Amino acid sequence: MTLGRRHLPSLVLLGPPLVFLVLVFVFPLTQVVWGSVFAPGFTLQHYERMVSVPVYARVFWITLKISVLTTLLCLVLGYPAAYFLASVPPSTRQPLLICVIVPFFISLLVRNYIWMILLQRSGLVNRLLLEWGWISRPLELMYNEFGVLVAMVHMLLPYMIFPVLSALLAIPPELTQASAGLGAGAVRTFVRITLPLTLSGMAAGSLLVFIVALGFFITPALLGGPRQMMISNLIEFNIRQVLNWPFAFALSNALLSGTLALYFIYVRLLKGRLPAAGFP
Amino acid sequence: MRATRRSGYRLRRALGRLALGLVGGGVLAFLVLPILFVIPMSFSSSMIFELIPTKPSLTQYERFFASPDWMAAVGRSLQIATGTMVVATVLGTLAALGLSRIRGRWRLLLEATLISPRIVPSIVFAVASYRLFTSVGLVGTVPGLVLAHTVLAVPFAVVLVTSALSGFDRTLEEASRSLGAGPVRTFFRITFPQIRLAVLGAALFAFNVSFDEVVVTLFLSGVRTKTLPVKVWDAILYEITPILPAISTLIILASVIVLAPILLVYRRRA
Repeated sequence: MTLGRRHLPSLVLLGPPLVFLVLVFVFPLTQVVWGSVFAPGFTLQHYERMVSVPVYARVFWITLKISVLTTLLCLVLGYPAAYFLASVPPSTRQPLLICVIVPFFISLLVRNYIWMILLQRSGLVNRLLLEWGWISRPLELMYNEFGVLVAMVHMLLPYMIFPVLSALLAIPPELTQASAGLGAGAVRTFVRITLPLTLSGMAAGSLLVFIVALGFFITPALLGGPRQMMISNLIEFNIRQVLNWPFAFALSNALLSGTLALYFIYVRLLKGRLPAAGFP
Repeated sequence: MRATRRSGYRLRRALGRLALGLVGGGVLAFLVLPILFVIPMSFSSSMIFELIPTKPSLTQYERFFASPDWMAAVGRSLQIATGTMVVATVLGTLAALGLSRIRGRWRLLLEATLISPRIVPSIVFAVASYRLFTSVGLVGTVPGLVLAHTVLAVPFAVVLVTSALSGFDRTLEEASRSLGAGPVRTFFRITFPQIRLAVLGAALFAFNVSFDEVVVTLFLSGVRTKTLPVKVWDAILYEITPILPAISTLIILASVIVLAPILLVYRRRA
């Protein structure tokens, strides 16, 4: 199918937004890709540096590790939450869903700051644990992996809950009723009916959480220590502190390519919906 | 014997439901409660942190509203968010109207392009726009921030208006055209009244996206055009002050006020 005369009005309508995005979004991104290999002559040295210098390879490793752990925690916590939401009547579900949606739209920065004041040495969590006598001196809850994971799971849980919930709601109730009627217990029904039918939702939610986690910047910067530096933080460091722009471009390109490849898998294989409307 | 077995089954079922409620409810509480903790903290009057203020007062709020520095940042943020709201809503609505007339693989490709700013990690767009804007002198300017925020807000508008248009009866437009109304008149008399809630939603989303944006703004704001989130970022990193819980509470309140109409409309539909 080609865009012929018939489409002239839609091209007129699409013209301004597309021109805008090409100028302010697509063009600068190609400049980044270009700048990572032409500095000024063609070179791959920035990519070589990325993999050959142990410090940078470590940042990649940390990014992967934190993203995988965040995804697993979101799955373990998000599944029961979605199951609970699916098990209550719709009139109860609606207000409970507000609990998932509203935090999602509250400033990421503010939510990270709130975790800082909860997890710091004199923060609420430490103070309560001391008061109850569970610990004798404050625990180190932030500027380490624990703090980063807690905050990241808090930010990314909705990305898991929504796909799993819609998979759960799509299961016809007759199926589980039939299973129970034929003598299967609740556990057996769950393992044989519910779990297999929600696998695609779990896969979509997990991949989405993982992709978004890879690009996290604010949380590792505020709640992590030097050992939790992720790719995004390394990019910012190279642009604003050491002014090695070509290297930052190469890192950006690596992050961008990885993200786009995973989104391709997400849309093509998992038939996942893009989190564009905000409601993930 | 049979009765006891059945009651045993019922008990297990009830316990199972209770466990599910506790875990599921616990996760929902984990999502919401931390955000609420900051509110009582914001009424602290002392310079040291306290969770439940011993003498509740509005001191921190007064300090915030009395500070010309913070107020300048608020003004700048409102200005940029309003600009973004207007530009992104117009561009997003145009794009959605254009998309709705196309079918097939072109549509998928165009839609993917229009949504792609939500997919690219914010740090990558931050670097890219910083690179471009330094070379054209837009770093540290309000128009520069409006342009960058608009890129991030357009996808919301496209998706919201597209979904409103998918339920729209196209024959109404054709009837209007065949009765002699031009395309502009048809849009304002026939199409717009049907999608105006989605357009309003898009505008509110765009405002919120801009008002809360941090990563791209950190790069593009420079020293002279610091927005409210960038000032908060600086304050968190360099001078943890008791004024921050009050500002956080106000930012949360602003998001809730801006987005409440959307949630109400969606709830009524569902």
